[in-house]
Amino acid sequence: MARNAVILAGGQCKWGVREAHLVDLFQEAAKACLDDVPTLKPKDIDGLIVATSYAGRCSFQVNTAPVIAERCGLKPTSICTRCDTLCAGGSTGIILAMGLVQAGAADIVMVAGGEKLYTPQRWEVFYSELASVDHDWDGVHGMGLPPPFFALTAQEHMMHYGSKKEDFAAVSVANYNYAATNPVAQMQKLLTMEEAMAAPIVVPPLTLYDCCPITDGAAACIITTDEIARKFTDRPLVYLRGTAQVCLNSVSANFPGAHLADWKHTRIAAEKAYKRAKVSASDIKVAQTHDCFTISEVIEVEELGFCKKGEGGAFCSSKQIEIGGKVPVNTDGGLLAVGHPFGATGIRQGVEIMKQLQGRARHQVKDADIGLTHNLSGANAEHTILIYGREPVK
Amino acid sequence: MAVLGIPILEDLYPSTMDMWPLEAKEFNRNWTFYENLKQGRLTTTKCKDCGVVSYPPRVICPECYSENLEYIDLPKKGKVIIFSEEVKGVPLGFQSPLIHAVIDLGVDPARRLLTRIINCPAGALQRGDEVQLAVFDVPALPIDKGKLGTIMSERVFFAFEPVKK
Repeated sequence: MARNAVILAGGQCKWGVREAHLVDLFQEAAKACLDDVPTLKPKDIDGLIVATSYAGRCSFQVNTAPVIAERCGLKPTSICTRCDTLCAGGSTGIILAMGLVQAGAADIVMVAGGEKLYTPQRWEVFYSELASVDHDWDGVHGMGLPPPFFALTAQEHMMHYGSKKEDFAAVSVANYNYAATNPVAQMQKLLTMEEAMAAPIVVPPLTLYDCCPITDGAAACIITTDEIARKFTDRPLVYLRGTAQVCLNSVSANFPGAHLADWKHTRIAAEKAYKRAKVSASDIKVAQTHDCFTISEVIEVEELGFCKKGEGGAFCSSKQIEIGGKVPVNTDGGLLAVGHPFGATGIRQGVEIMKQLQGRARHQVKDADIGLTHNLSGANAEHTILIYGREPVK
Repeated sequence: MAVLGIPILEDLYPSTMDMWPLEAKEFNRNWTFYENLKQGRLTTTKCKDCGVVSYPPRVICPECYSENLEYIDLPKKGKVIIFSEEVKGVPLGFQSPLIHAVIDLGVDPARRLLTRIINCPAGALQRGDEVQLAVFDVPALPIDKGKLGTIMSERVFFAFEPVKK
């Protein structure tokens, strides 16, 4: 019989423009993770999954798992590998670790994700981002840096559903304000609607606070079984209830929706994850969604079923994403304000959901018992959803 | 000319920093796409067994896994569905304004093709405008042929441009 997988511990280093090497960031994240449950020691960990996408380009390092294992004092005996699904790398690592511990192929797995994106010459990271999408067919058109793609997405959402610039600004205000007291966030400032609305243009209609920053950083968490976790902690256990990862295209010309604001692949992923987790959208008490841009969060709250399709703008601007709202979203500040070191993001999201479900989050959602994380990656080419709960799926 | 900070790269070509596709026959089984582009044709592959047209071109049919494919022409004119303009902060390799558009070539699978729009000043493009294929030269690919030395393999790429009204 399959074992129940839980997220036992987690943490992240300070995110931002870091004066550090990639391996430094991973060490800081591993320490933050084990400091979260001090009874857990490096020698207890028998598996490591590393999520990083840009190590090869920005740090001249491939086969990163042994490098990170050694630097972090780990000697894995069950699994030691790397995964790369860009913005969803951390979530992918958690899904893989879940499967391994459920199957009995590993017992205590550290999932560690991180990126060192700021290179000595600033042009290089922007140039290297041509590899973030399908290089020869989209990157070559200058679509590597994502603002143009999400500007088109925002325009189509405005055109088809009547969302407004104020709706996008409401998302950045909410997420910045969640992060204002988060000591590890890249952006720690309160943001007003006036500031958000008056921000400099990036690609119309997107302005500065509509876009997540480029971030150096790392995060780590521990995936194990409920039985093992109980030996290390008295906190409530947070179970992995159901997951899905959907990829229907890579090249933008083959986008699966009717237009760029119609995210069919997100709906398929949500339906599958809800079914596996034996919950519905209305059971989700708190969510960390992929707010790489404000428009992303607007569309995600629709496609995840928190509101009707087309009403995401109104849902966000009516404060339904804030504490006390229908589904508080990105309660630690999200990608917009905590930052987005690609491979680390899904882990940061999972750790925030763990804390919410254990009742120890900075912005605590009352009685949170079911939480969700969501990532998109590439030119909106893949969607990854994980559902966590205070009880296992029965 | 030496690369700043890496003097050993003097006059050497690092393909990992090349923003254009490795189009040459030696590195790409879909080299025909680029050869057709040099003739001013935008093409893709069609499966001769099941009839499915794929974009971008393939070496196997993604539907039936047949290798029996042929190149067919796509229309060279289309209409702008939606577009974005980036004026400031354009990444290295591109000029301001960097304009992206989703265009409709009127046939599957090219009803929502994302492309760069060139030869167009900022503020001039409108939704519904007609655009046409524009093929341009990009730097040749230096291929090390051992004793024969390095050959320069000519390359082109494409974007779309407004049809003059």
